[in-house]
Amino acid sequence: MHDQLRDMVVAGTVTIDGDAVEFHDGETIFQVARRHGAKIPTLCYDDRLEAFGGCRMCVVELEGSRNPVASCTTRAEPGMVVRTRNEALDAHRKTLLEMVVSENREVDVDPLRGYASQELKTLVEEYDAQAGRFKGAQSGTSNTDDDNPFILRDYDLCISCYRCVRVCAEQEGDHAINIMNRGFETQITTEFNGRLKESACTFCGQCVQTCPTGALGDRKAMRAEEDKAELKKTRTICPYCGVGCSVDLLTKGDRLVGVQPAMDGPANKGALCVKGQFAFDFVQHEERLKTPLLRGEDGNLHAASWDEALDRAAGGFSKALEKHGRYSLYGVASGRAPHEAAYTMQKFVRAGTGTNYIDNCSRA
Amino acid sequence: MTITANQDLVATWRDEPAPLLPVLHAFHDRDGYLSDDALRAVSEGLRIPLAELFGTVTFYHHFARTPGGRDAARVCTGNVCRLRGACELLESMQSDGATAMPCAGRCDEPIPVLRGDQVWVGATVDVLERRVSPLPVANPGGLEECVFAAIREPDRASLEGYRRTGGYEGLLRVMGEMTPEQTLKLVGDSGLAGRGGAGFPTGAKWSAVAEAEGHPKTIVCNADEGEPGCFKDRAIMDHDPHALLEGMIIAAYACGAQQGFVYLRYEYPETFERLEQAIVEARAAGFLGEDILRSGIAFDIYLRRGAGAYICGEEGSLLNSLEGKHPFPRNRPPYPVTHGYDQKPTAVNNVETLASVGPIVCNGADWYRGLGCEDHAGTKLICLSGDVQRPGNYEVPIGFPLKTLLHDWAGGALQGRTIQAVTMAGLSGGFLAGEDMDVTLDEPSVRSKGSFLGAGGIIVFDDSRNMVEVAADAMAFFAHESCGKCFPCRIGTHRIAERLRGNGGCESLADWRAEVEDMGRTMRATSACGLGMAAPLVTDSLLKYFPDQVEKHFGS
Repeated sequence: MHDQLRDMVVAGTVTIDGDAVEFHDGETIFQVARRHGAKIPTLCYDDRLEAFGGCRMCVVELEGSRNPVASCTTRAEPGMVVRTRNEALDAHRKTLLEMVVSENREVDVDPLRGYASQELKTLVEEYDAQAGRFKGAQSGTSNTDDDNPFILRDYDLCISCYRCVRVCAEQEGDHAINIMNRGFETQITTEFNGRLKESACTFCGQCVQTCPTGALGDRKAMRAEEDKAELKKTRTICPYCGVGCSVDLLTKGDRLVGVQPAMDGPANKGALCVKGQFAFDFVQHEERLKTPLLRGEDGNLHAASWDEALDRAAGGFSKALEKHGRYSLYGVASGRAPHEAAYTMQKFVRAGTGTNYIDNCSRA
Repeated sequence: MTITANQDLVATWRDEPAPLLPVLHAFHDRDGYLSDDALRAVSEGLRIPLAELFGTVTFYHHFARTPGGRDAARVCTGNVCRLRGACELLESMQSDGATAMPCAGRCDEPIPVLRGDQVWVGATVDVLERRVSPLPVANPGGLEECVFAAIREPDRASLEGYRRTGGYEGLLRVMGEMTPEQTLKLVGDSGLAGRGGAGFPTGAKWSAVAEAEGHPKTIVCNADEGEPGCFKDRAIMDHDPHALLEGMIIAAYACGAQQGFVYLRYEYPETFERLEQAIVEARAAGFLGEDILRSGIAFDIYLRRGAGAYICGEEGSLLNSLEGKHPFPRNRPPYPVTHGYDQKPTAVNNVETLASVGPIVCNGADWYRGLGCEDHAGTKLICLSGDVQRPGNYEVPIGFPLKTLLHDWAGGALQGRTIQAVTMAGLSGGFLAGEDMDVTLDEPSVRSKGSFLGAGGIIVFDDSRNMVEVAADAMAFFAHESCGKCFPCRIGTHRIAERLRGNGGCESLADWRAEVEDMGRTMRATSACGLGMAAPLVTDSLLKYFPDQVEKHFGS
């Protein structure tokens, strides 16, 4: 987004915390201020989604306005004078956080729950918001018995920022979840308040990764909560299809425990599908193939060396070519193969056998 | 209930403007509730994702999701009805499945009970009766009126009666003798401003719509009248519905609008029928339709019924509701004048504002300006209710002394009582008490006391009332009606209501007060719409005028 903005025409100048800052047409105060380095807190904002204006944490002082304005939904206009932090704003933010904390069971959740799961906790610490003020009823009812292997629906921790609902609609186009009831009774729901499995949910996990409190949890990653080893993130590319989504692999020790989407991934900008998000168990599966297997005379598969296996394959290809000619061969590269392997495959088929029958399974 | 019938029902509405609410009502009326099958049919027919439709339906208080729910009685337990035994009436009817509903806009009558399409009123279950809503009494001060000037004429609600008493003459004059620009200037010069409470100058709003790019343009009449203690719009629509239509048609002419909506609250079923009838009559007489009065101008009005949500009186929510979306308020700017219904230029006006337009055109801008006291332009309808001798709707000159209205016009407190406090703006303005009741009924005066006049609902509480309980009921209303979009309002209204019912777990009165004040301050400053901003006025004014009652409440 910022790269695009850099190419756009400057639409004017606003003053942010005393500094004159240029802005581009359509930018909000929040975007301009963040670009300028101001740290404006928020709970309902996700870069990828339309600004919502729900949490009101991002309110800033705007000269000439009686009340602070939500910076995420207010477009920058020439001459605006904005202060992103002062005593009054800090007090409002602290009160808001204390109100939010008062409706939840807990704030401190394991980071394995999801990419954004530490956002509330981080702000509570930063603003020194006190738990125990504003005691009263808690909102949200957890659907912990929603029997699916991927998504924990622990709505006791829900703060009704609706990022999950919006990511499902705006980013995924699934519209599987929505908002039931109103006010304090608000509850994230599916059609007829059923289970995710019976809804339009594709289990892409986007709702989990945008949840700022861990109310939605990554059940697969959470299996490793008890593992006390340090959590590490390693940037790589999802091995599944040709899109090339950037992911961060979560590891503890030498164990792969989860996957999180890379919000700055050039191909996916934080999006993932159910496979990239949740289907990593094969990596450490006990039945995973570790050597080539060859079918023996007895009809069963037996472990073999790569030389033996490649000889058998070469023999098979040669036999087919001899018997049926070059058009009897057709090579398909796996979508999971990297460029280099796909290149080698087509070279092998074209140069080695003289046919142009090549394809890739991600093409369809 | 075959599949074909579902499809037919959807097909009836699918291609109409703003189809979601009427199609849901069609199923609701047919089946007595909204079944899963009905929602599936609507979802498919209107191409709304099922989860979204389900969520939106659950937002509305009056859409029943279980068989028989539509016709189960709803008893008004608003602040005024509570003074008259509404809780006891509800209790006596609970075995028949009756539930509570917030203020149903009949505060000048006994307790209303809504059963399906009928409103019954009565203090106890055996005296419930159906009756026409009260006409405003003749102006007690003998002052010249604008909106109510002709409302008491016999048969004024029919087209014939309306025309016989000067109705549609304003429209005829506008379309026969004036350009849209001249009309805009006239309304602007009159000083007419939004009578729903926001007070935005009507002429400026219409001019903005007229100048805005985009087609078609829309006139929306906000007839959601959900503010507790407000029932003036109902009186206009019941007794003078054509005055509203005439105002809308003049607005359409001035703004260049092609379509209009009246968004009427669910709790006014009889009013719905009246308006429906008036629209049919106006269409037949050529005041609405493809070619109004053979002018070549097309404008039609569609009546839409809400389903029980106070927030839909907020214009952004109202527009979302009309469009079939989740009725959250919209972020502003952009404003409806450029991005309203369907993101096209739209004028959203209150019933009273629109009903003022015809008389203003007939009598002139100077006439209207001159109706107000001193420098104030025009009149305001005040809905007076509660502990007062003669509750009802009164049209007062703007700037009129509150005390004259209370004591001279409405007869003052009940026998042996004194007035302890009044609310302003229905409940939204909080309380005025003591010397602060010595205000004039105009925004500068009322605002100088930290409140606002708003839509003009004034509820009177005499010295027999526990003001903390009154405040608790008021805050419970705001909590019930908070939409849930923004944090300060969603959590704040609920938490403050908890503190007014008990002590909210606070160990000392100082803590209690600090919590209530901190939340109030943040709600006022950071809420996304007027509901959350105004709600803390209830506690601010409670603490200001009745610290002793608060102390007593905390001690108990």
